[in-house]
Amino acid sequence: MVYLLHQAVDNAAEKFPENEAVRFSGRSLTYAELKQRTDRLAAVLIERGVSRGDRVGIYLKKSLESIVAIYGILKAGAAYVPLDPFAPTARLSFVLRDCDVHHLITTDDQMPFVVEMMEQGAELEHLIGVSSENAALAEAIAWEEVYATPVDSLPNVGTIEQDLAYILYTSGSTGDPKGIMHTHRSGLSFAQWAAETYGLQPEDRLSNHAPLHFDLSTFDIFAASLAGATTVVIPEPLTKFPASLSRLIESEKITVWYSVPFALIQMLLRGGIEQRDFSSLRWLLFAGEVFPTKHLRQLMSKLPNVKFSNLYGPTETNVCTYYHVETLPDTDEPIPIGIVCENAEALVVDADDQPVSRGEVGELLIRGPIVMRGYWAQPEKTERGFFKRKVFDYLEDIFYRTGDLVQQQEDGNFKYLGRKDHQIKTRGYRVELGEIETALVSYELVEEAAVYPIPDGQGSNLIEAAITVKNGADISIEQLEEHIAKRLPSYAMPANIIITDSFPRTSTGKINRRELQSQALAQTEGL
Amino acid sequence: MDTQAILMDYIKKELMKGRNVDISPSDDLLGSGIIDSLGILQLVSFIEERFNFQVPDEDVVFENFFSVEALTNYLKNAQAAA
Repeated sequence: MVYLLHQAVDNAAEKFPENEAVRFSGRSLTYAELKQRTDRLAAVLIERGVSRGDRVGIYLKKSLESIVAIYGILKAGAAYVPLDPFAPTARLSFVLRDCDVHHLITTDDQMPFVVEMMEQGAELEHLIGVSSENAALAEAIAWEEVYATPVDSLPNVGTIEQDLAYILYTSGSTGDPKGIMHTHRSGLSFAQWAAETYGLQPEDRLSNHAPLHFDLSTFDIFAASLAGATTVVIPEPLTKFPASLSRLIESEKITVWYSVPFALIQMLLRGGIEQRDFSSLRWLLFAGEVFPTKHLRQLMSKLPNVKFSNLYGPTETNVCTYYHVETLPDTDEPIPIGIVCENAEALVVDADDQPVSRGEVGELLIRGPIVMRGYWAQPEKTERGFFKRKVFDYLEDIFYRTGDLVQQQEDGNFKYLGRKDHQIKTRGYRVELGEIETALVSYELVEEAAVYPIPDGQGSNLIEAAITVKNGADISIEQLEEHIAKRLPSYAMPANIIITDSFPRTSTGKINRRELQSQALAQTEGL
Repeated sequence: MDTQAILMDYIKKELMKGRNVDISPSDDLLGSGIIDSLGILQLVSFIEERFNFQVPDEDVVFENFFSVEALTNYLKNAQAAA
């Protein structure tokens, strides 16, 4: 019986021991090897004090070890906390302190940053993947040592499906990232749905384009393991080059691709896909943002033998709706986000939490095993994130509030209409505008800040910021950028910061971000 | 300025916003997160304008762009071939 995410690996190791589980830059691990390595890592972690319910950090660039780390941590009974290897250390040390991480899986290359995080208060005691000459501050255990640890059988740590499996940190509106807690059950529910819906087989080769701290990666890894298929981990640098990516699809014979639309649009426009052999590719899945119909139409006409599917879901729900794209609208109207996934329930409510009639606009609420446990150490935020529908006295159904406005079409598919709040998407990443504003205002000379999205014409947004300066002080945008770069991940950095004397205001005195946005748009169009 | 110096100057001033990292011509621009996908596009348009040379899509690959040195070599060879 598979009720824990890592049991999928042990299962595949028994059924398909010689199947490749992971590939990375020409190197690979079979399922038998992956099982052995993850057992060994788990044993090392347990010996170093990791117990059921603990959190273990992963601070790695993409590699074979990324996958070993995930499953090794799960086997030790802990939850993995993936850290963006390119994020500022101040943000990462916040995460490590926030969820109390003492064990970190990393590499010697990342050590200068690990040291910074420890100086900023991260209480790391054990560093796995690090050689001993780097061990001044904490115990270091090199991979060679991990892999040389023989394991007869792992102790049963007693994990059940309701235990935490991973915590994904995402932009928080108050300025600090918040940790979305998923259990084995919620992760596995999604992976099982995905493996079934896309008919994954042991012969399949799935791309892993998304970073580990981005929820798309759970499909690439967990759904592949369930099917005994191969996860092809794409090195981060290659993801910046559409022509490199299209070559990888050809050479690695990718059968199922999953990424944000941006990566696919880049490949369409600059990837030279006409010259590539994509005959292995059968499914092309995308999520995270709206795929502009104009570009989707072009891509579909270039790849007539590939099936396309639009997946939707905030990180809190993994994926909760899907739409297999068969025909496109004649206009450039966006495609729907589709129907709710099997074993999930959708409810659309108005501003007073009353269900709307079918066809009316409202906020989408989701219920089902795919939904997160809550936000780490934020009981009030968790409470606010859920809606309780009374069934009988003493019995309630619990729905997650997505914050997304939707409308159900006559054919049953949901249409996505936008956000209720100040959250935006940029290149598939979700960003709370408030977090950027908080970072800007934390700079001494900034009086007030307003941040707003500018559509980039490719279905995504660039971020622009406007600031007012204290007492007409002489401010250097360069120094301000330097200041906020220490607080924000690079994808949340404004592409442009403008200085203004005053902000347009709404009737209630709030900064009118919409007006700022239209001013900025008018200016771009005027050029 | 020679090609390498022009490229270094542009990357430092325009693409490394707010990151006071010292880079050398052989440094890995991508592994260290100095340049993102938007940065690559900006860099390509800069090269096309500054050197009056059209970079074909299929040449915008990791091997040609991973460092300033690699990019300088690529440009030298590509311009010679053009």
